[in-house]
Amino acid sequence: MEIQTGKEKNTVVVSIKGKIDAVTAPELEKELSNLIAQGENFFLFNFSELEYISSAGLRSLLAAAKQVKPKGGNIVFSGLKGPVGDVFKISGFGTIFKIFETQEDALK
Amino acid sequence: MSLALNKIKTAGRGGLAFRMSLFILTSTACIFIAAFGYSYFYSRSQILADVEKNAEIITLATVSKIEVVLGGVEKVPSYLARSLGSSKPALPELQKRISDLLQTNPEIFGSAVAYEPYAFDSKTLYSAPYICRGKQGGLVSSFLGNKEYQYFFQDWYQIPKELDKPIWSEPYFDEGAGNIIMSTYSIPFYSNKGGKQIFTGVVTADISLEWLMETIKKISSRQSSHAFLISRHGVFVSHPNKDYIMRESIFSIAEASNDPALREIGRDMIHGGKGFVILKDHFAGQKAWMYYAPLPSLGWSIGVVFPEDKLFASIGKLGAIILAIGAAGFLALLIVIIAISGTITKPLRVLADKAGEIARGNLEVEIPTVSSRDEVAALSNSFQNMKIALKEYIGNLAETTAAKERIESELKIAHTIQMSFLPKRFPPFPEKEELEIFAVLEPAKEVGGDLYDFFLIDEEHVFFSIGDVSGKGVPAALFMAVTKTLMKGIASQTISPSITLSHVNLELCKDNDSFMFVTVFCGILNLKTGELLFANAGHNLPVLISAGGDIRWLSSPPALLLGIMEDAQFETSRMILTPGDTLFLYTDGVTEAMNPQQEFFSDQTLISTIAGCQNKRSPEEIIDCVLKAVKAFAGVEPQSDDITMLALHYRGKRTRQGNKVK
Repeated sequence: MEIQTGKEKNTVVVSIKGKIDAVTAPELEKELSNLIAQGENFFLFNFSELEYISSAGLRSLLAAAKQVKPKGGNIVFSGLKGPVGDVFKISGFGTIFKIFETQEDALK
Repeated sequence: MSLALNKIKTAGRGGLAFRMSLFILTSTACIFIAAFGYSYFYSRSQILADVEKNAEIITLATVSKIEVVLGGVEKVPSYLARSLGSSKPALPELQKRISDLLQTNPEIFGSAVAYEPYAFDSKTLYSAPYICRGKQGGLVSSFLGNKEYQYFFQDWYQIPKELDKPIWSEPYFDEGAGNIIMSTYSIPFYSNKGGKQIFTGVVTADISLEWLMETIKKISSRQSSHAFLISRHGVFVSHPNKDYIMRESIFSIAEASNDPALREIGRDMIHGGKGFVILKDHFAGQKAWMYYAPLPSLGWSIGVVFPEDKLFASIGKLGAIILAIGAAGFLALLIVIIAISGTITKPLRVLADKAGEIARGNLEVEIPTVSSRDEVAALSNSFQNMKIALKEYIGNLAETTAAKERIESELKIAHTIQMSFLPKRFPPFPEKEELEIFAVLEPAKEVGGDLYDFFLIDEEHVFFSIGDVSGKGVPAALFMAVTKTLMKGIASQTISPSITLSHVNLELCKDNDSFMFVTVFCGILNLKTGELLFANAGHNLPVLISAGGDIRWLSSPPALLLGIMEDAQFETSRMILTPGDTLFLYTDGVTEAMNPQQEFFSDQTLISTIAGCQNKRSPEEIIDCVLKAVKAFAGVEPQSDDITMLALHYRGKRTRQGNKVK
C-alpha cells in the first residue's frame, strides 16, 4: 500500500494505491492520526488506484471520521471503483460519506 | 565420553602446550644454532689466522737465525777456497790450512781440498787431501780418490763444478762422527791462467747439523706443534717420528698414503715455496695445519705442523659449555612454556567442561573465577555472564511459554464456547417439514467474528440471520457474542427485521469506543405462506436459487452497518418464496477468499459454483459443494477471514400424498 498526501486549499488529499487490509490498515491509521494531530480537518480520499478495502480499512476510515466530525471537519471520497465501490455501497458507507466521481468534483 | 576424548586430544599432540613448545623451541633452536654456528666458525677462522701469523713469524724468525749461522759457517771454507785461487800451496801447507780450519771450527768435522786431475801435481790424477776428526779427538789425515772412488763424478765435486757455485749436499749420517746428521758444503775454486778463471777444484767442509736439529725441535715446544725439515729431495732431515729421518721422504709418505695433495705440497716446499695448508690425518695422526718456509742456503724446507685438536681445543671446550648452557636453557624454557600454557589451558579446559555441562541443561554449574586480568580471565567472566543471561532467558521463555499455553488453552475453551452459541443441531426443526436449513462456520483463528443464527419466533415464523463483525480473533468474537445475544433478545419481541436492526444498532452504538461494527442480514420467513421479510445492514446480498433453477442476487436497499450511527435507518423488504426456492447466505470470507496468485474467489465464481451444484438440492449439499470449491480455490494460501454459509430451502406445506400445497 502506498499513501501519498497533498494539500489543496484547506483539504488534505490522500491518494492510496494498493490494498487496505488488516496488515496495512494500522499504517493508514497512524498517518491519519498524525495529520489530524497537526490540525487538519478536511480530507479527500482519492481511491482511484485502490484495489481493495477490508473491514479493517473501513474501521480506520471511521475512526478518522469520528475524530474530525466533532471539530467540524469532513471526509469525502472520490474515484471509487470495482470492489471498493461495491463495499462502500453494500456497507452503506455511501449514506454517511459523500462520494464523488472525480477529485475535481470532490474539491468543490 | 566425548568430553574425555576431548581432554586427551587437547593434552596431547594438538594441545596448546605442545604446539607452543614446538614452535618456540624450534625457532629458538634455529636462532641459537645460527648464532652458535656463526660464532664457532668465526672463532675457528680467527684461530687459524692467528696460528698462521704466529707460525709465519716464528718460522721466518727461525729461518733467519739459521741462515745467519749457516752464513757464518759457509764463510770458513770460502776463505780457504779463495786463498787457493791465488796460489797453489805445497801439500804440507795445504794440509796445515785444512787442519787450522778444523781447529778453529768445531762444527766442521772434516774438510777436503780436491783438485782437478793433474791440477795439483801433474803426475798425480787424484789430489784430494782430507782431514777429519778422529774418534779420540785428534785429527786424522787421509787422501780421497782412487780407482774405486773417482771423486770427479761425485755429486759434491761435479755439481759445484757444473753450477760454478757452492752447494750443500744432501744430508747423511756419518758413522765416523757418531751417527749425527751432516751435510757437506762444497765450494769450487779457480786459478788464473792466462787471464781466465779456470776451475781448479773443490773445497769441502762436512758440517754437523745437530744444532740445526735442536733449533728445529725448539719450534715444537710452543703452540703444541711440531716441526720437520726436508732436504732438497724431500727427504726428512728432522721429524718427530725418528723412523722417518733419512729413511722416508715427503713423497714416499704421500705415495704410501695415496695423497696427491701432499705430493704437491712437497713439490712446493722443495721449490722454495711458503704457505699455510691443511694436512690429511695420516701425516700427524689427525687432521692438521702446516706452515712451511724454505731454508734458502741449504735449499731445504721447514714445515711446522699444528694438530687440529690442540688447535681448536679452547673453542671446543667453549663450544661444549655453550651447548650445555643452551640445552639447560631449552629445558628451562620448555618447563616455563608448559607452565605458562598450563595457566591458559587449565582454565580453558575447565570452561570447556562447564560448557558441556550447560549444554546438557545444567545451568547451576559454578564457573571458576580466574585471578589474573588477562584474556583468559575475560573469557571466564564473559562465560559467567552468558550463563547468567542464559538462565534468565530460559526462565523468561519458560514463563512466556506457560503463559502462551494458558492462553491457547483458554482460546480453545473460548472456541468451544463460541461454537456452542451457534445452533449446530441439524436438522434443527425436524417437525417443520416446510423448511430445510443448514449452516457452517469456519473461523480463521480459534475464535472469530462471523455469526449466524436461526430460531422459531412462533409456530409459523422462523427468524434467521447472518453477520460479520469487523476484524478477527478475540475482540471480534466478543462483539459477535454481544450482537447475537442482542439480536436474539430483540427479534423475539418484534416481527419486523428493520426494527430489530434499529434496536440492535442503537445498543451497539452505545459505548462503542473501539469503532467496531457488524454487518447483518436478517429475515423472518412465514412457514405457512412463504412470505419472507428481510432487512440488510451492510452485509453481502444473499443468492436466491429459485425452484426453476434461476440463480439471482436478492435485492435490498443499501443501509449502514450496525454500530456506527445511532440514528441509522433500515428498511424491511418483502417477497414470497415459492416452494422449492433456496436462499443462500454467506459472509465475505467466501467471496474474498484468496489464492496464492492473490486473486479473490469473487461473487461471479460463487454464482457459477452454485450453478454447478444445481443437482445437489439440499442446503447441506449446496453448502458443502461451495465450501469445497472455496477450499480448492484457496489452495495453500492461509485462510484470512472467517467463512460462514447459511442455506434455507423452502419446501412449502405437503399433503400426505406428497403434493405441494400453495
